[in-house]
Amino acid sequence: MRVFTRYCYLALSLLLWSAQVHATLNIEIFGGGSKKIPVAIVPFSQEERLPQSITAIVSADLERTGLFKMVGTFGQTPHEPGDIVYADWQSRGASAIVIGSTHLLPDGRVDVRFRLMDVAKTSQITGFTGVVPSDQLRVAAHRIADIIYEALTGDMGVFSTRIAFVAKTGNKFALQIADSDGYNAHSIIEYSEPIISPAWSPDGSKIAYVSFENKKPVIYVQTLATRERKAVANFKGSNSAPAWSPNGDKLAVVLTLHGGSQIFLINADGSGLQRLAQSPGIDTEPNFSPDGRSIIFTSDRGGSPQIYRMAISGGNAGVAERLTFEGSYNVSPRFSPDGKSFTYIHRNGDRFNIALQGLANRQVQLLTDSKFDESPSFAPNGKMILYATEISGRGILSVVSSDGQTKQRLSSQTGDIREPSWGPLLKSQRNNHFIN
Amino acid sequence: MVLRASSFLVVALLLVSKPSIAGLFGDEKAREQIDLLQKQTQVMEARIAGMEELLKSNALIELYSQVEGFKIELGKLTGQIEVLTEENKLLRKQQKDFYLDLDNRLNQVESGGSRDSGNTSLGESDSSTALPSEIEMTAQTIDGSEREAYQTGYNLFREGDYLAAISHFEQFLKQYASSSLAPGAAYWIGNAHYALRNFQEAISAQQRVIDQYPKSAKAPDALLNIASSQLEIPDVSAAKKTLENLIQKYPNSEAAGKAKKRLTSLK
Amino acid sequence: MKKLLTVLIICLLSACASQNKQSAEVDDRAMAGGGSGSQDGAGAGGFGLSPLRDPNNILSQRSVYYDYDSYTIKSEYRELVLAHARYLRDNGDAKVLLQGNTDDRGSREYNLALGQKRANSVKNAMLLSGARDQQIEAVSLGEEKPRATGHGESAWAENRRTDILYQGEY
Repeated sequence: MRVFTRYCYLALSLLLWSAQVHATLNIEIFGGGSKKIPVAIVPFSQEERLPQSITAIVSADLERTGLFKMVGTFGQTPHEPGDIVYADWQSRGASAIVIGSTHLLPDGRVDVRFRLMDVAKTSQITGFTGVVPSDQLRVAAHRIADIIYEALTGDMGVFSTRIAFVAKTGNKFALQIADSDGYNAHSIIEYSEPIISPAWSPDGSKIAYVSFENKKPVIYVQTLATRERKAVANFKGSNSAPAWSPNGDKLAVVLTLHGGSQIFLINADGSGLQRLAQSPGIDTEPNFSPDGRSIIFTSDRGGSPQIYRMAISGGNAGVAERLTFEGSYNVSPRFSPDGKSFTYIHRNGDRFNIALQGLANRQVQLLTDSKFDESPSFAPNGKMILYATEISGRGILSVVSSDGQTKQRLSSQTGDIREPSWGPLLKSQRNNHFIN
Repeated sequence: MVLRASSFLVVALLLVSKPSIAGLFGDEKAREQIDLLQKQTQVMEARIAGMEELLKSNALIELYSQVEGFKIELGKLTGQIEVLTEENKLLRKQQKDFYLDLDNRLNQVESGGSRDSGNTSLGESDSSTALPSEIEMTAQTIDGSEREAYQTGYNLFREGDYLAAISHFEQFLKQYASSSLAPGAAYWIGNAHYALRNFQEAISAQQRVIDQYPKSAKAPDALLNIASSQLEIPDVSAAKKTLENLIQKYPNSEAAGKAKKRLTSLK
Repeated sequence: MKKLLTVLIICLLSACASQNKQSAEVDDRAMAGGGSGSQDGAGAGGFGLSPLRDPNNILSQRSVYYDYDSYTIKSEYRELVLAHARYLRDNGDAKVLLQGNTDDRGSREYNLALGQKRANSVKNAMLLSGARDQQIEAVSLGEEKPRATGHGESAWAENRRTDILYQGEY
């Protein structure tokens, strides 16, 4: 037993060590990292008895943001504030240290305690204790990561949010929902025909998507809690690219009622069809601005697919303004949550990469350099972008920080993964039964 | 197809009902009718054949692919116009920035020791910093609306909307002809022309400042601006003359100091 | 009475003659256009190999291919589209489904729209050549149903196409 425990510690510290190597690698590749916050995360006591290591999840979450540098523990494993030799941690460059403990209760639940300590001030920044069912340890870990992230950066943590994506296995297409790190994936619907373009309702209770089950694209809205689903756009021709208005009342959709692909507005229940824009070419991939007053979309009216912005009400409604001017292929635009910038796919030579562009200064920044990047989707705090890419012919999900400094694969899923969509930040996810 | 079949049907019907027709109209009438029908049938045949030819030939398809070709060309042209409009917008902004930068650099060179720290930040020219004190100095004689009107024109200039600034200051001069800010308004009209690179207009506008307000503090500045315009034309000898004239007429002005520096750099 | 009959016969004959003359001209023109004007007539025939399946008949060719990010029917596919349009014109009961496809690069939604544009352009060409609107449905599969998998120009080129499927084939 002792030997086993020691192995576990070894494995954990190896894990953390390798995580640190990874972080160093990022710094070498991108030349960034000067702003990274050095944090040491000490494996919680008795964690090895749990089915799931909490601190491994916390470390991975924080690292994915590119804002933290993981400091090795070098065999020191304090679990209580009194155990911490602050001078040692200071000499290793850690400005904060995460400690904690877990206790497996007789009823199978786990008592989790954690503290975030300020190394310089030798005092506690934040912390909590809570009792969690053993199948909710991932949820608890993401919540801890959120608390650490919020305390150290002042921004909202988004680790407790969920993501949706489409997994293709053989000839089966599954619309799946998972934690923000890609784990805990489960299908909400499966078909032998393609599913594309999942979009979360702003309250996170529904997902709109396009299914080819009727041999042509039709838009469905599915309520997650009840699994009840409804075809909200099944007009003559093709129905695709659903986008929710910020208040969840309406959907912008793309229909081919009159031949070409054009953007329409419908109520969330499918009623009240209304045309939004008219162009001689393709208009598709609408996305609402956070204030709901305008949309950005892809159009080939200028001879090549480019991104345009258009007010949907008021005097300038229907007048489109072109936003992208670099290159001959810019598609899949998504507003940042603050509405000040947008991300999209830019063809760069023979590569398709994630670009970020400010609406005020029009500066374009390429965030990735792989070959086939698709479907960018902002995290609700705007600090990360989830996207689909390819490794040796297989689709995978990846996350890039909004500054392009850190990229990390979400490697948990199996099958051919595509069409990711990052879900909203919900109040319920922020409280999940913990007592601070 | 259908049309042709029906015309045959009409003829066939006529054949069947011929005796009764003959009985009613007699041979002559019937022949006339038949001739008429025959002609109509021929016309129909020709029309149908024409339509079929049109369909069988590639004419419509040719036309369609031409229209598609035009649509693609139109799309490309639309795209080019979008790009050119954007580039034009950027160039205008750049021009404005360049002007402000140039103005700033010149002012730094001219003001010598006071500001030769090498700081060439964009935008803030010393003329702008001079403005509030200028208003303060003459504050007693200026009413609120007058100052506001002047400030509006000046802001237009600062924002790079030179045409609007010119018309605004012209309006100001009409409305407040005797204002103590009038020489300033006239001076900024000249300066706006200079920014638009309309150097002849700039010169005549600044000449108005010198002619109408020779004793104003703006007069030496106006002369300096004339010299700058002449240098841009370029008419270096005229510029030298203007600078010498400025030093002679307003030896104690700040502009004269600048003029001296510029003269030495011209030699 | 006799006269009348003669007139009628003359009338009929002359109509035939004028028609023959017309079609001769048509054939000439079709030849000059580099074409296959003679094959369309065969469509109506009922026995033997169906013209749609006969490998020697242009109607057995069912795919129109495109350049990257393009939806225009290249000149080498015009005869193919025309032949199917004539078949539809001469067989009023026949119906086709046009499926536009794209290669898998770039946005799935944009590709869905591009596939629609490809299918629509074939449909329009067919309508202008005598087919009727009710006979043709144009849909897009975007990049979702690739015929060739993998990356590389040969797979991409194979997937940039519109397929013509007759009723019973889809």
